[in-house]
Amino acid sequence: MFNTLKKIIQYPRLTQEYPKIINSTANFIGQPVIHPERCCFCGACAQRCPSQAIAFDGAARRIGINYDQCVFCVLCEDVCQSGAIRMTHCFELAERSRAKLRPDGSVLTESAAAEPNTADAKPTLVIHEADVPAMADEALTGELKKHIMKVFGRSLQIREVDSGSCNACDYEINALNNPVNDIERLGISFVASPRHADMLLVTGTATRNMQQALVKTYQATPDPKLVVAVGACACSGGIFRDSYATNNGIDSLIPVDVYIPGCPPRPQAIIYGILKALERVE
Amino acid sequence: MVTTMNTLNTNINLSNLKETLTDTFSAVELPNGCIKSENNTDSLGMQAKAVTDNILYFRVESDRIEPICTYIHKEWGYQLVLMFANDENEDELGTDLGYGLYYVFADKEYRILVTIKTVIGAAKPEVQSLSHTIQAAAGYEREIQDLFGIVPIGHPDAKRLVFHSNWPQGIYPLRKTFDVRSKLPMAKEEIRFRKVEGEGVFEIPVGPVHAGIIEPGHFRFSVAGEPIINLEAQLYYVHKGIEKLAEGQTLEKGLYLSERISGDETFANSLAYCQAIETISGSNVPERAEYMRVLFAELERLTSHLGDLGGVCLDAAYGFATFQFRMMRGWAYALADELCGMRFLRSVNTLGGMRKDFVKGKEASLIRQLEQIRSELEDTVSIVKSNSLFTDRVENTGILATPIAIDLNAVGPGGRASGVGYDVRRWFPYAAYDKLEVQIPEHNNGDINCRFNIKIEECFESIRLMVQAIETMPAGPVLEPITHVKPYHFAFGITEAPRGENIHWLMTGKNNTIYRYKIRTPSFCNWPALCYAVNGNIIPDFPLINKSFNLSYAGNDL
Repeated sequence: MFNTLKKIIQYPRLTQEYPKIINSTANFIGQPVIHPERCCFCGACAQRCPSQAIAFDGAARRIGINYDQCVFCVLCEDVCQSGAIRMTHCFELAERSRAKLRPDGSVLTESAAAEPNTADAKPTLVIHEADVPAMADEALTGELKKHIMKVFGRSLQIREVDSGSCNACDYEINALNNPVNDIERLGISFVASPRHADMLLVTGTATRNMQQALVKTYQATPDPKLVVAVGACACSGGIFRDSYATNNGIDSLIPVDVYIPGCPPRPQAIIYGILKALERVE
Repeated sequence: MVTTMNTLNTNINLSNLKETLTDTFSAVELPNGCIKSENNTDSLGMQAKAVTDNILYFRVESDRIEPICTYIHKEWGYQLVLMFANDENEDELGTDLGYGLYYVFADKEYRILVTIKTVIGAAKPEVQSLSHTIQAAAGYEREIQDLFGIVPIGHPDAKRLVFHSNWPQGIYPLRKTFDVRSKLPMAKEEIRFRKVEGEGVFEIPVGPVHAGIIEPGHFRFSVAGEPIINLEAQLYYVHKGIEKLAEGQTLEKGLYLSERISGDETFANSLAYCQAIETISGSNVPERAEYMRVLFAELERLTSHLGDLGGVCLDAAYGFATFQFRMMRGWAYALADELCGMRFLRSVNTLGGMRKDFVKGKEASLIRQLEQIRSELEDTVSIVKSNSLFTDRVENTGILATPIAIDLNAVGPGGRASGVGYDVRRWFPYAAYDKLEVQIPEHNNGDINCRFNIKIEECFESIRLMVQAIETMPAGPVLEPITHVKPYHFAFGITEAPRGENIHWLMTGKNNTIYRYKIRTPSFCNWPALCYAVNGNIIPDFPLINKSFNLSYAGNDL
């Protein structure tokens, strides 16, 4: 008992004060950024990108990164001969719409050669008409949602759903509870059931075997609710896009409020995304 | 059982082994490393590195499969460590067309891998099941049935494994004719679970969405009062089709896929993948990279084990210890961040070595931080060990009996806690492990306490190995890039992941692509073992037992 008490008071506060203080000294790998003015438009990065995240049009001399697909693997920086691609330390990447994560601002116009089927690819799950999370319902609760946001802007209950990740995102979400991040200091806690939750934190591609469970979990969460997609898989399918067993992003099944890119996103990037959903950060 | 195995083994040497298999079972020895013997001299003019002589391939007729495998398993005591199929119906592969079935047996003491191959004609895809004599085969046979449509005749429980009720009958994704992008309609099959009936027996369904922040899986408990009579785990909720996604892709893309098989085993998986390709290409990895690989592999093990130890404490409601372990895990992540900028050690390995020299100039800081984790771990362990309430909860709970562990080929800490003293780092050393002395802890009771102790001892051992690797690391380059590999060649990649033995088998296709990538992570072997370990325990102890194994769902489901 004495040793336990001694240990408890041994260390000063370990918790990092994000988002009050941004710990920018670390040398971690964050967002890759393309400087088109330096680009020689050889197309090597777009060709070798493992998740086809680089939107490239050599003829029109346009290039950009779809951050919802990017797996932050550093390969583009390594293959770029003209030094046009640089990895930065930026991790605050979460956005309210997927279009904002794309250079041309559009989710549907993807490089046509790589994606012949996406335009008419529909979610494969057979959901009963009445079961589909209706947009009308969303609109009805919109006003209420704004009001409630003010209320649960201070406290939030989260249910995490893994819909087919590699478990790295889940470990990062787990790390939100460790002494370094301690998300409870922000009034945010994780609950055991979707019935108790205000927010679903979804990781993974919504695999064929998980999609029904994901929709059911969504339906079990009381309105108004928020959905945050964590990681490249949940945003767009990531490296597992276009497989017989996956969907290209969870937004083909349920409406998403905030997308957090990353593979996996760092715990602080997840905190940023959650706070963004709560409109507590800009 | 262990002792009989050892006495049997001493009589076997390689020539004896070859003779027996060729004479008794008319097996034909195949060249190691390529699919066509005439293809040995390749156009690229590369000389295949003599892989260890202890990896053997034999080809037998499909009707001899059962007797030869039974013989190898029963008479010699070899373990079935892997079984997989390969669609070899492409004309380029020669005359022996059909579905190749590979049975891999390991003599873990004498470091021998024997692969028995048979070819099944596409017209009648069926094979005699081995599950009655070799229990470990049951899961593989169900997997092959789902993915290739090869029916195991006489399998005791050949229900679907990979696919749930939504997959249409008669479609097999790993056949080459199947397009990976196919989106099939949702079927409505019925899933049946093993029924336990009797007065007062009831079922508890749990999952796939669990109460904690963990991966999805469905557990069907049959209980009488509190004690569990039977547990059936339905997994594969996170099946993403990784093996199919890898086919036809470049070797480079395969590396990034292998890193995403299971998040917290990123490095072990990418290392196994690199190992397979480096063996095929015959290139030598620079020595400094070999030492760096040990450093990263041990850092991953340390991080993973610290998380597991914290998890066991959390499920035993021992908050203080949980947060101690989580704090140390946070330090381990910070260490990874400092080393390579990636908490999950992604984009660190690359074909032929390491992407960069991550260690240079950081040696002193690394050793200081490792020392800090070590001394904190020592303090915490002594506090946890003196807590009799905690020890009472974990001792004699969730026992995995040694014979069951052997039969199911339980690996890693789960196996070592039950007296299966096998560790790839010692028996099939890779990277620089043959130059460092690896101590393998062993316990025999098979309960949570033993698994807990194994992981504690392995944490200390990992720290020791990391320090040793940093101190003895030679200077020099860290990368010998690999750009071309020969087509239709194959090799194993075997590593010890934090959860145990990790086997990858890779066959190259044309133009530096992947023809077939078979992944078997330790979780695949240990999930059935977990289902045995819970029997007779009470339901509230299940989370604790589950956490003591801490298996990966993603690594199992692929």
